Order: sequence, then C-alpha cells, then structure tokens
Amino acid sequence: MTAHQKILVRKVAAHGFVVCFLILVLVPFVMVISASFRQGDFAPSRLLPDKVSLDHWKFVLGIPYQEVVNPATGETRTIKAGTPPLLWFWNSIKISLISSAGIIFLSSTAAYAFARLRFKFRTSTLGALLILQMFPMVLSLVAYYVILDFTGQHLKWFGLNTQAGLIMVYLGGISNYIWMIKGYFETIPATMEESARIDGASQFQTFVRILLPMSLPIFAVVFILSFISYMSEYPVASVVLQSSDNWTLAVGANSFLYEQEKLWGRFAALAVLSGVPITVVFLLCQRFVIGGLTSGGVKE
Amino acid sequence: MSEGSVEIKDLVKTYTDDRGRPTFTAVKNISLHIEDGEFMVLVGPSGCGKSTTLRMVAGLEKITSGTISIGERVVNELEPKDRGIAMVFQNYALYPHMTIFNNMAFGLQLAKKKKDFISDTVGRTSKALGLDHMLERKPHALSGGQRQRVALGRAIVRSPKVFLFDEPLSNLDAKMRVQMRSEISKLHAQLGNTMIYVTHDQVEAMTMGDRICVMRDGLIMQVADPLNLYRQPDNLFVAGFIGSPPMNLLKGKVQRRDGSLFFTEATEKNPLNIPLKGKLEPLASKYIDKDIIFGIRPEHLSDEVKDPAHVPVTSTVEIAEPMGSESLVYLKAGTANLIARIHGEHLFHLGEQVTVQFNLDKVSLFDAATENVIR
Repeated sequence: MTAHQKILVRKVAAHGFVVCFLILVLVPFVMVISASFRQGDFAPSRLLPDKVSLDHWKFVLGIPYQEVVNPATGETRTIKAGTPPLLWFWNSIKISLISSAGIIFLSSTAAYAFARLRFKFRTSTLGALLILQMFPMVLSLVAYYVILDFTGQHLKWFGLNTQAGLIMVYLGGISNYIWMIKGYFETIPATMEESARIDGASQFQTFVRILLPMSLPIFAVVFILSFISYMSEYPVASVVLQSSDNWTLAVGANSFLYEQEKLWGRFAALAVLSGVPITVVFLLCQRFVIGGLTSGGVKE
Repeated sequence: MSEGSVEIKDLVKTYTDDRGRPTFTAVKNISLHIEDGEFMVLVGPSGCGKSTTLRMVAGLEKITSGTISIGERVVNELEPKDRGIAMVFQNYALYPHMTIFNNMAFGLQLAKKKKDFISDTVGRTSKALGLDHMLERKPHALSGGQRQRVALGRAIVRSPKVFLFDEPLSNLDAKMRVQMRSEISKLHAQLGNTMIYVTHDQVEAMTMGDRICVMRDGLIMQVADPLNLYRQPDNLFVAGFIGSPPMNLLKGKVQRRDGSLFFTEATEKNPLNIPLKGKLEPLASKYIDKDIIFGIRPEHLSDEVKDPAHVPVTSTVEIAEPMGSESLVYLKAGTANLIARIHGEHLFHLGEQVTVQFNLDKVSLFDAATENVIR
C-alpha cells in the first residue's frame, strides 16, 4: 500500500465513523419529527411517515379537528384538547425564564463572594457545594413535597401545585452554576476591581459596573444551560404541579402516555415544540458568548 | 502644610488562610516617614513586601498591626476612596468595557460631581497627557504606553494628596519605560504631590526618587537619597542591590603585619592583600583577625594613580566589555573576581596583566557577621 492509499483509507475510516455517529444522533430526532406528522399513534415502523397528517399538531396547537371513529361507516367526531397544550408551553417558558434569571442572580452573587471575598469556612462551603451538586434533585423530591405542602398552608400562592413553588425548588439547584461562574471570575484580574474601589465604588457597584459587563459570556452559558434543563425537567415538576393547567410541557407531554394507550403522535409534537424556545434562547445568548471582553483592561 | 505626608508606624502584615491561621508575614514591622511632596521609592527584590506596604497605604490590604497616617489622620480603617490617594497599577487595570473618557471619569461620576466639572477635568487632564483625541476609544485600541497614560490620567483627575505607583512601568518596553519615567518625574515636579513608587528596578529607583527605601524580606534595609544610598550603603544587601554592575565584595580578614593593617582575602593560596590605610585604618583596627567584607564600586578601580589614597593591585583581565565611553573589565586578582569600570581609551585584552588602583577613600567595609557597614 502506498502512502497515498494509506491516507485514503484513513480518511474513509474517519469519515465513516463520523457518519455512523451522526446517524446515531440524528435518527431519533428524525423519528420524533416524523412521528408528530404520522397518522395514528403506532410505534413507528419506518423512518418517514407513509401518510402525512397534521392531526397531532392541530391537537397540540389547540385547533379542533375531525377524527374517524368508525372506518366502516365513516363516522367522525371533533377532537379538542381539554387543557390546551399551548398553555403548558407557555408555563414552561415562563418557569424556565424566571428560574434561569433567578439562577443568574443568585449564582453570580454567590460566585462573586466565593471568588473575591475572604471569609471563614469559604473553602469548606465550596467543597460542600461541590458534593451537594453530585446528588440529583430527584433524591430530595419527598423533602420538596413536604416543604411546599407546609409553605402552602401559610402562603397559598407558594405551596404545592403552584408555579412559584416549583421555581423556588428550581432555584435551589445552583451549586454547579456557582462553581462555573466562580471559575470564570477567577480568570478576571482583581486589579480592575481594586482600581474601582479606589475610585470610590462600593462592593456592589464594583460587582455591577465592573465585573458583570466583563462576565456576559459565562452568564449566557449558564442561562442557556439552565433554560434547557428546566424546559425538559420532569420528575420535580410532575410532583409539584398537580392540576393540568399548571403543568409544564414535560409533564403535559407525559400525560399522553397512558398505561393502556401511548399517544406517541401528540407526545412527539410537543417534544418538537419544546425545542423551539430552546433554539431561540440559544441563538439570542450565543451573541454574548464572545471572547475578548476583558482585553485591553490589563496587560496579560 | 503636611496634608500629603505619610507616616507608617510599626506596620506589620501577616497573611492568614480562611480560618484565620497565619500563613506568611510579608511586612515585619516597618516604620517610614514620607514628607509632603516627596517622591519616595520603595525598592527591593520580589517578595520583599514593598507592594504589600503600598497596598496597605492604599487600603487594599488590611493592616495586621501598626498604623498608617496620611496627613496627620490615621487611615487604618478608612476606605481607599476616603484616604485621598490614587493608584496606578502595574497591569494598568483599566475598565475594558468603558471608553477612555469613562475610564477617567468613573471616580468623579461615583463621587457625583457635576457633569461640566467632569468633562472639564477629564478634558484638561487628557490634553496634558496627549490623550484628548482618543477619549471615545476603548482600552484595547490603545498601545501599552497609552494605556498606562490613561491609568495615570485616571489617578490625576481624582486630585489625590498621595499618588501610589505599583511598578507602573514594568509592562512597557525599554524605550517607552524611559519616556514614561521622565513623564512621571515631570508630573511630580508639576503637581508637587507626594508620590510613593514601588519598583524592583534600581535604575528607576535611583533616577526618580527623592529618597529611596530599600526593603528585603519585609524589613527596611536603608532609607536615603539616591547618592547617599549609593555612596554609603548601610549594609551588604544595599551595597549589592544598588548599582549596576554591582559593588565588588571580597570576603576576608583584617590582619596586622609590620605595624600596618591589611585586608587579606579568605583563601588558602595566593590571597589578595590590600593595605588598609587612611580613613580605613581606624575602622579596621576594631576588626583585627575578624571576618569582614571589603566593598568597592567598579568605578573606583582605575588604571592610573590619581592620589595617595590609591593602592595598586596586580590582576589579570578575564573579559573586557568596551562600551565606547568606558569599558567594563572583569579582572582576577588573587582568587577574587573584580569588575572595574575604566574609561574607554585603552582596549584591554584577554589575559593581559593590569595593575588596578584601588581608591581606598571610596571603600566600604562590612562586618561579615552582622552584614552591617563598619563605621
């Protein structure tokens, strides 16, 4: 084999691997999209639907449509969702946006303290946070339930089956974001903040006017990550939110998968729908994920 | 008027870890008085505590013990902004997301000064610094020298009583450094403010300072004006640190032979012997048979006899660096290595035998045990 052939073989092998991997990633995605356009709710036997139907999408978007009840007589009935799935969609966006914004606020202030201030038990607290984040949120489901049940007895809007309650639970999951942001803060030289302090800025002014503008990239990343995770979070939401008009998209979608009948079509349509806000948020935030925000401030 | 004077008394800085356990003492009890309008340079090798001292004056580091007063007022617990200081950092520390104008105006804006006053002050200062045509730019569009000038301007607009400089020139290239050096000196002459300037570069220290404070390991080794520091070092460290090339330092003993005193190099064979005459005699007489260090600056070794204070020493040329106006000649005398700064008319050759004349009037003797100069 000549050197030329060797390179060719290597190229073919590498491309082959990448193509296989792409198929592995893309096929489920295509299946979900195709399931949302396929007539009926059967487990998909082929990749592309043989009969295209917009019924599932109509259902999800709250548009009434006719369904054949008896193929022999051609008898039909009108179908419309009880709770409009678009409400779940809206709930999800609302909860994810508020939670993500809250997470940015809480984790950036906490990270500032950990990165810049010196206080007792700083390192041990950081270590504790690191360990805590290793346990999934689901493990404390029972605790969340009991706590929200308790708070709900005193504050109606802040108990079980309230979106405020769910947001509060979500805000608890910030430890890994604290670590991420702290890591970023530590790459920013402290002299700029010291200089601001000499200029007369308070700790808070320094944080807001000097450090925050330089930290937009990490905030964008944290916002994207937390938005995605809360858009698709199921276990906690399914326990906290009980009435269907409070549900998020993930809980709502799951409600179509009955033990006796799994309505894959509607489920798939909702799944595709949930991708829309994620994409929008990603595109918006991506603009802030740029380097060089600190360039020129200090000599590296 | 003494509102710009700085009084440092028994200052100690011990760093602690998170639990408050001491880890490292950077400044070990120093006291220093800086006159109003004085240009004081803190100089020393890295880790000597000079920057820590400056940062404590600025209020960026907590003081472990001791007091710092600026203009009669103890500032230990005051916030940096209330101390009447401004600081220029080594890495400029500009605000990268703000324009040059806003960088300079930031302090005034925080102090809620009137808009007219701010634009007027910033305008005047930027003009004086040659920055007026780039006020709308951001720091990344500026060169290193311009950035440091912005940092300087930001300090000036605050009209502080005391300017603090933390190695402001060490990030600039050699040419820019020389230029900025004279600019800062001019600024000092114009404004007449107290300035405290930290550097590890002894040339900067010598050329800029009214007085120089040499530090080592958290202690002050000597405080003096540049020439006194150079001519009369208090101890071995200052003698070796100030001056380039450094002072020749020879280890040896004082010995009495035939009624006269000699410095004898501490070596078995072929030791260098230098008679200790004139003003050195009474100093050396207290150290007979004791270890001393004999120090002489390179320019006090010459190849011609000028007056009776000169004593001849035979030596061999090891390396000669002719620089035009003068030559640096590396010599071997006995087992000692010497550097001589000799005028440039004569070209020295490797291995050449030279009789160098030691100017005994300019010699410093140090106690080898305490490392202090013998007076």
